[in-house]
Amino acid sequence: MITEKKSTTVTERIWALREKVLSTKPSVCTERAKFYTQIYQENDDQPVIIKRALALEKTLNEMTVFIDDGELIVGNQSSQHRAAPIFPEYAVDWLPREMDELDKRPGDAFFITVEHKKELLEIAKWWKGKVLWDRGRAIMSQELRNLQDSAIIKATGNLTSGDAHIAVDFYKILSIGLGGYLQEIKQYHQQVKRFEQEGVKKDHFYTALTISIVAFQVFIRRYRTLALSLSKKEQDKQREKELLLIANHCEVIAEKPPQTFYQALQLTYFVQLVLQIESNGHSVSLGRMDQYLFPFYQNDKITGYISEDFTSELLENTWIKLLSINKIRPWSHTRFSAGGPLYQNVTIGGQTTDGLDAVNDLSFLILDSVGKMKLTQPNLSVRFHKKINNDFMLECTRIIEKGFGMPSFNNDEIVIPGLIKIGVEPEDAYSYSAIGCIEIAVPGKWGYRCTGMSFLNLMRVFLASLYDGLDKQSGIVFKKGTGNFAEFNSFEDVFKAWQHQIKYYTRKTVEIDTAVDTALEEIVPDILCSAFVDSCIPRGKTIKEGGSKYDFISGLQVGIANLGNSLAAIKKLVFEEEKITKEQLLIAIENNFEGEDGEKIRQLLLNFVPKYGNDDDYVDLLLRDAYMEFIDELEKYHTTRYNRGPIGCKYYAGTSSISANVPSGAVVPATPDGRKAFTPVAEGSSPSSGTDMLGPTAAFKSVSKLPTEKIMGGVLLNQKLSPATIQKDSDKQKLISIIRTFFEDLKGWHVQYNIVSKETLLAAKKNPEKYRDLIVRVAGYSAFFTTLAPDTQDDIISRTEHSLS
Amino acid sequence: MIFNIQRFSTHDGDGIRTIIFYKGCPLRCQWCSNPESQSFGYSVMYDKKSCRGFGDCIKADNRAITRINNNGIQIDREIITGPEKLRDICASKALTISGESKSVDELLTEIEKDSPFYRNNGGVTLSGGEPLSQGEEFITLLQKLKGRNINVNMETSLHVNWKSVARCIGLVGTFLVDLKHIDQDKFKSFVQGDSELVLNNLIKLIDADAQVIVRIPVIPGFNHSEKEIKQMIEFVSSLKNVNEIHFLPYHTFGVEKYKSLGMDYTFGHKKQVQDSELEPYIQFAQSKGLQTKIGG
Repeated sequence: MITEKKSTTVTERIWALREKVLSTKPSVCTERAKFYTQIYQENDDQPVIIKRALALEKTLNEMTVFIDDGELIVGNQSSQHRAAPIFPEYAVDWLPREMDELDKRPGDAFFITVEHKKELLEIAKWWKGKVLWDRGRAIMSQELRNLQDSAIIKATGNLTSGDAHIAVDFYKILSIGLGGYLQEIKQYHQQVKRFEQEGVKKDHFYTALTISIVAFQVFIRRYRTLALSLSKKEQDKQREKELLLIANHCEVIAEKPPQTFYQALQLTYFVQLVLQIESNGHSVSLGRMDQYLFPFYQNDKITGYISEDFTSELLENTWIKLLSINKIRPWSHTRFSAGGPLYQNVTIGGQTTDGLDAVNDLSFLILDSVGKMKLTQPNLSVRFHKKINNDFMLECTRIIEKGFGMPSFNNDEIVIPGLIKIGVEPEDAYSYSAIGCIEIAVPGKWGYRCTGMSFLNLMRVFLASLYDGLDKQSGIVFKKGTGNFAEFNSFEDVFKAWQHQIKYYTRKTVEIDTAVDTALEEIVPDILCSAFVDSCIPRGKTIKEGGSKYDFISGLQVGIANLGNSLAAIKKLVFEEEKITKEQLLIAIENNFEGEDGEKIRQLLLNFVPKYGNDDDYVDLLLRDAYMEFIDELEKYHTTRYNRGPIGCKYYAGTSSISANVPSGAVVPATPDGRKAFTPVAEGSSPSSGTDMLGPTAAFKSVSKLPTEKIMGGVLLNQKLSPATIQKDSDKQKLISIIRTFFEDLKGWHVQYNIVSKETLLAAKKNPEKYRDLIVRVAGYSAFFTTLAPDTQDDIISRTEHSLS
Repeated sequence: MIFNIQRFSTHDGDGIRTIIFYKGCPLRCQWCSNPESQSFGYSVMYDKKSCRGFGDCIKADNRAITRINNNGIQIDREIITGPEKLRDICASKALTISGESKSVDELLTEIEKDSPFYRNNGGVTLSGGEPLSQGEEFITLLQKLKGRNINVNMETSLHVNWKSVARCIGLVGTFLVDLKHIDQDKFKSFVQGDSELVLNNLIKLIDADAQVIVRIPVIPGFNHSEKEIKQMIEFVSSLKNVNEIHFLPYHTFGVEKYKSLGMDYTFGHKKQVQDSELEPYIQFAQSKGLQTKIGG
């Protein structure tokens, strides 16, 4: 990344800041952990919510603050760039266990000093038995703990890091300012009935809110003080002016609503920052930034107060600041979100509440500034709709061509009707944004975890249904089955066995989520985050207690494509064509396709069965039916907020399983789709890698046959493109044309593009079997890369390198 | 008979297209990148890299197929009896049969699959081999496509009798006509055909008011010289109603296929033509008032 060439329109200062953050090794900061520990120790008698308010107060009042040379947007999460704070109240067990390995991790390594290790050991000792993880595990039944330990259902992320996955109400924050919040809280606080038990709780809630907001104001003013003192020492007149401006902004926005775009952006960033000091969850998202900031931008533009270049510079600085925020997770959870991203989503485009195209000048500036920075943060989503500005779409494809996977697209044409159908008011539905990667919620009105509760490993469930309920990996029969595959007489028997097992596991995911939510509500209530979500303040409740207007959540189901392909393989080869016997299949998967005939059976499974992703109803509809068994069962259950205030309180399905396909696959033996033991399963709703042989349109068709309107937790589709595919504008228009069909006609949910890198091509040359679907197009001709002669492959590799530089 | 259906094709006509590749061609271009398209019958293809030595092909025809080592076979294509029976014999698909008979309705089903994507003038492109060398069913397909309002392009060498061309006029939206060379002798020696036939058909086709785009494959050692290409451009620009010309730069993507068909690639080891080499041709064509594209 560092070697990336500077775009000519990026200023020196921004580039220097970018380089600095990128070259800073991730480390660990113990400040927050120390403050929280001290406050919890000193205030043992206080309710949890007060303890948390006091701890946040102490942290915001005393943590290190700094302003870097040249920074225009200020605010830091910890004592250094990229230094992850520790959140001991969530989980500490893993710290002493993994501390010495942090800097040796194969990915997402953290640098940690000997002193910090010592401190953290002390801290971990005190917290033992008191944290979220302990409580969550304690309130689960033995069965649920076994399910978790078996890795069939994983909820480690929530129990070690909390949930987040939320965007707060930036419209309101920018319109009433922090002072406005204090007034509103005061007003409700005065009405509390302290003679009722509920009133006592509300009293604590409002007290905690007041402490936290005031602490937030102090935090902002500390930057004012710092900027002032730096300005006094500053030699450079221009920089001195900038520092004075920063000081002035902080003075204003600590209390009042922002007056300018610059102030509004600074306050937005402060909110985003402090939410991630308060809570440990990831996917804290910024919502529809091009909408709530636009009035400020427009006003400044009209009055001539701000230029496009400076706006872009401020945005670029903000993206760098987002990257400097960091998070450390236990290794077990890190593997589910490889690359250490925080998924701070920014959503642009979409429609206004009147159904008009919402794309504006700021949408373009955000898009281009993200393209210029080419960082992993923010995660940029574009809301597509029928009437979206085509120039904007073209610009999107130009950014996609840069090859860092952004922006991804969400589709209004399915999301908005889907939201309205489940009970979201139309005006709110039109205001949704992406959260994290592809999942969606209405900013400021939705509870946590629009997706990402527990991860269900579908292929482990499927295998259990072949063995009368026995999970071979753990040796446990969690749910007695309907018999062994060897005794099944028809494909219907297989499907019945699946129905039987999946019903049980679906219910168990809800049981685990209920335990986790109960523990989260008790142990780690978020205060600031609740303040910024409608209607926590009027109700006097945290989000987890039922404060939010809407409450819909989803777990994530992993191994979608493998499920369909495995069902199709059994149906076709075993029961219809009798090409292989039941016994042969069992022996083959139990031996990981080794031994006599093992490989031949695997080749038959790979080559003679329709595969999901090729627009073949045979497998696509089987998959849909099998997945519907999960979805129908899931619809029977409610969240812990049911009857406590929010609309909904229901579950829906979700497939935005980030990098979970790798660790999830690592605990699954060989499967009837020909997948080898412990290799990754398919990611999201994408076809299994190497199996979609007919290109992107066929993959679109397959994906669109999933019951999309019921998978509101997201239908994730990654597509690969070779750079040459979209080099020319005419090719970009063709890409836009297929995206339009996918979204307008086929009602797809989401798509994002990976531009095939040189590394991928090299890997494909070495390992052709995994990349059989890789199509390269050069000068009007397309071919499967792996079928080309080595020297032709080399030629394409060298061209790829060229076209990306 | 067809040998491939390729969806999401973006370079053989407007919009997104599905290409039907027909099997069988009257010409034998030495640089042909789809050698399996030449024969009108089944072709036995064998990709050694995918061979796992299962031996099922040998069991099916031990006269024509013999094992040469653990992971390899030798095929005597001359004496294979009924290649059809080998179609699904190889688990790893190292041995495959190129060529499949599809009914008109089967083809329509495949074509319709991507129909939502045929916006902006997309549709189907019939290619080959030589689509005009196909039988009666082919015309039925064209009629049905017209009935369904699906845009049809046809890629052709026009190296067929005029009757075969004439019956398609009115059923094909745009003819993408390959113009390989104007010189009779060169045409004969490199593609084993008669350039007069092509040129006459082309003129007749234009006289019949068909929409035509001319495509010139730029092949080193055959026509890749300013003199030859300019001559062709001049010819094209003299034709009324042709205002677009495409240059298809030579590539070597098909070389592996020759091996798998047991054929020799006689064209020798030539470098792929880079887009930049076409610049003078493009400029010349544009100066003659023609619209140009690289790769179609």
